[in-house]
Amino acid sequence: MKWLRNILDKVEPVFKEGGKLESLYPIYEATDTILFSTDKRTESGPHIRDSIDIKRVMILVVVALIPCYIFGALNIGFQIANALGETLSWKENLMNGGMKIMPIIAVTFAAGSFWELLFSIVRKHPVSEGFLVTCALIPLVMPVTVPLWQVAISTSFGIVIGKEIFGGVGMNIFNPALVARAFLFFTYPARISGDKVWVAGPDGYSGATALAVPAAEVGKDAVSLLNSVTQFDYSWMNMFMGWVPGSIGETSTLWCAVGALFLVITGLGSWRVIVGAILGLTGMAFLTNFMAEITGSTNTMLTLPAHYHLVMGGFAFGVAFMATEPVTGAHTDKGRWVYGIFIGALTVIIRSINPAYPEGTMLAILLMNAFSPLIDYFVIQGNIKRRMIRYAQ
Amino acid sequence: MNHIVIYKGHNIRINGIPAKDVISIPGSGTVAISPRTFRGVKPKLLVDEGDNVQIGSPLFFDKTKPEVKWASPANGTVKTIQFGARRVIEKIEITVEGTNAISGQTFSPEQLESADRTTILTRILEANLFPLIRQRPFNKVANPKDSPRDIFISAVNTAPLSVELDPVIESEKEAFQSGITALSKLTDGSVVVTSRKAMELQNAEVQTISGPHPAGNVGIQIHHSKPIKPSEIVWTVNTQHVITLGKLFLNGSYSPDIFVSIGGPGASNPQTVSAKVGASIGSIISNQEMENPIRLVSGDVLTGKTVEKDNFLGFYDSAVALIPDTVGRPFMGMLALGSNDSKYSLTSTFMSFGEKLFNFNTAQNGEERAIVPIGAWEKVLPMDIYPNELFRAILAQDIDEMEQLGIWECDDEDFALCSFACPSKIDVGAVIRDGLELMELEG
Repeated sequence: MKWLRNILDKVEPVFKEGGKLESLYPIYEATDTILFSTDKRTESGPHIRDSIDIKRVMILVVVALIPCYIFGALNIGFQIANALGETLSWKENLMNGGMKIMPIIAVTFAAGSFWELLFSIVRKHPVSEGFLVTCALIPLVMPVTVPLWQVAISTSFGIVIGKEIFGGVGMNIFNPALVARAFLFFTYPARISGDKVWVAGPDGYSGATALAVPAAEVGKDAVSLLNSVTQFDYSWMNMFMGWVPGSIGETSTLWCAVGALFLVITGLGSWRVIVGAILGLTGMAFLTNFMAEITGSTNTMLTLPAHYHLVMGGFAFGVAFMATEPVTGAHTDKGRWVYGIFIGALTVIIRSINPAYPEGTMLAILLMNAFSPLIDYFVIQGNIKRRMIRYAQ
Repeated sequence: MNHIVIYKGHNIRINGIPAKDVISIPGSGTVAISPRTFRGVKPKLLVDEGDNVQIGSPLFFDKTKPEVKWASPANGTVKTIQFGARRVIEKIEITVEGTNAISGQTFSPEQLESADRTTILTRILEANLFPLIRQRPFNKVANPKDSPRDIFISAVNTAPLSVELDPVIESEKEAFQSGITALSKLTDGSVVVTSRKAMELQNAEVQTISGPHPAGNVGIQIHHSKPIKPSEIVWTVNTQHVITLGKLFLNGSYSPDIFVSIGGPGASNPQTVSAKVGASIGSIISNQEMENPIRLVSGDVLTGKTVEKDNFLGFYDSAVALIPDTVGRPFMGMLALGSNDSKYSLTSTFMSFGEKLFNFNTAQNGEERAIVPIGAWEKVLPMDIYPNELFRAILAQDIDEMEQLGIWECDDEDFALCSFACPSKIDVGAVIRDGLELMELEG
């Protein structure tokens, strides 16, 4: 790779202070340090440092998403074949699905890089690697049928409004990828609210998503309703494996769990948030099941058991990759428990009691993003109170 | 007896651990003290270039506390007094010519036992050794007019590559005990000695501590036994300096020799040597072969200062680290799997496991970025303090919040591991220091 190094060294003066393209220095710097690790040395103590840096953190989150990408492509191919009544080999499914999601990925990265680089140049800050994660997340929460211009608009909205106007990665309040998804959700609700399936099948092909099935009927048992669907296999196992229609990367609970495990083992994602969210979801699902029994409510969603909530919709994906995002979540360990539990509980509440949207994970996480500073505030107040009592002694 | 268990923290497995046997090295030709490096001190000279000084002669004093003077660690001639910008006194360098020391009153252990505060304080002040005593908060030279709540002594060194203190105390038991007895007269509270294993000591409260670095930092020990409240003052003395004070009372004169550890991946011959306070770095590392570019650090690798061969050992330092100073630029390094030999991380983001010692260099391993709170700081800070929030309060210069979040209990050295572990490469310790300076200013 000496030749590449030589080229970079050769063009460096052009981007340095006084060079012709001085204003584009962030672009040079980003390319240079992504291709070759920085040789920056410590200036004062600590003279030695841990090998981890933000580039490594961000690239590993992207790595954690790879299983979801591969499975997403497979599943999209499978859903197309299913809609056409064909049975194809996994290679053909992967190819068909891959062809569908490639343009979405390309448009997301094009739009995302454009804004990130523009802001870096204008605000003269280094390109932050966080946009890689944001751009890797956005396609996974998009329906495969989304028009590309909507991908471009929502990515732009997510990056600019969700992140850059606050000052970039580390200063943002909401998860930019979820902001992009929410923008799409509220701007084009007819296409994306999650009651009709998104399958890149023949024109006019449609059906109800798993979450829309119990939401549409009154006074039935949710599980037997799901099992009675013939168009798709909405059995628990199948939904856990992910062979159901949905956004590109969200359908497989299994592969989301693999990604989550990777984040927890590498120390990048907080297990407290994940366990908290599962506990919150389970607890609230038990409560709604109980409510359905004692109140005699005709809301079928109330009868949906916890283990079904866990594998349906975007819960697994949201908790694994969105809720664990460290910047927008709670910053204290105690706070992370509360933050996780509320995400799980709110997901069930929005799914069961809100009549407008069958899915609630995205809204639950965004809501808790907004509340995480408050949660931290209470945790910190606890610490302060303890200290003040000690000072008073 | 109080036993403290520290769970959070980390012993950095850095290569080049100094051998324990103490080697004597050829004496330093010159020694120096740098008045500029003492926090909050306004130094005024008491000597001129060409003056003859003995071991223990006063070199300069603090204008804000004129009774606090600094002793010369050598007998000889003042070679140079170097001034920096705005006539700041950079260093006072003395050519070593003899071993004459100023001698004064000696105390037998019984006399020490029955001495009162004024006698002990006057003796330390007139021997010009008071700067060995530092205070918390602010970790600066203590004020003899203060009456400290307690005096804390850490008999454990957990900093990487530091001098092992147990054998030092063992070999100087009498002096250590005398130093403690003397110090116990200076406080109405107690002298608290924290060590790895139980010790038999008079006039002191002994507590034990277990766990990784920073368990040996006196700030951590104070936090876990008797935390500092606002307006309280606690004094601290290094173990080696307690011995120096003990010897002063037993022998009547200043013995400026201390044990210094030399280690790090750049040290060809990691060892422990006996050297004078303020000895030249060149003389201390005379046994080391240095072929490749190497950074020399006076103090430990986490909190020390970069020095050159012709600089001098810091006044409070008892370690010199040698770290290779060449950093490569691997292609696509961010995607590397990593191995035990190439990466060292507190997270499991690389394929580097096991207990192998690591050859660190001076690489920062990344560029500075905004905070991404993955819990790296909290994992290595064994205090009931929220570092992230305190950090933000300091940046916002919110004094009330800083106080509420516990800044009085903090010192930058306790946060050095946070900077080591930070993925955003933020120097947390430096910000804590800024916060403390602000508190002192507004105080």
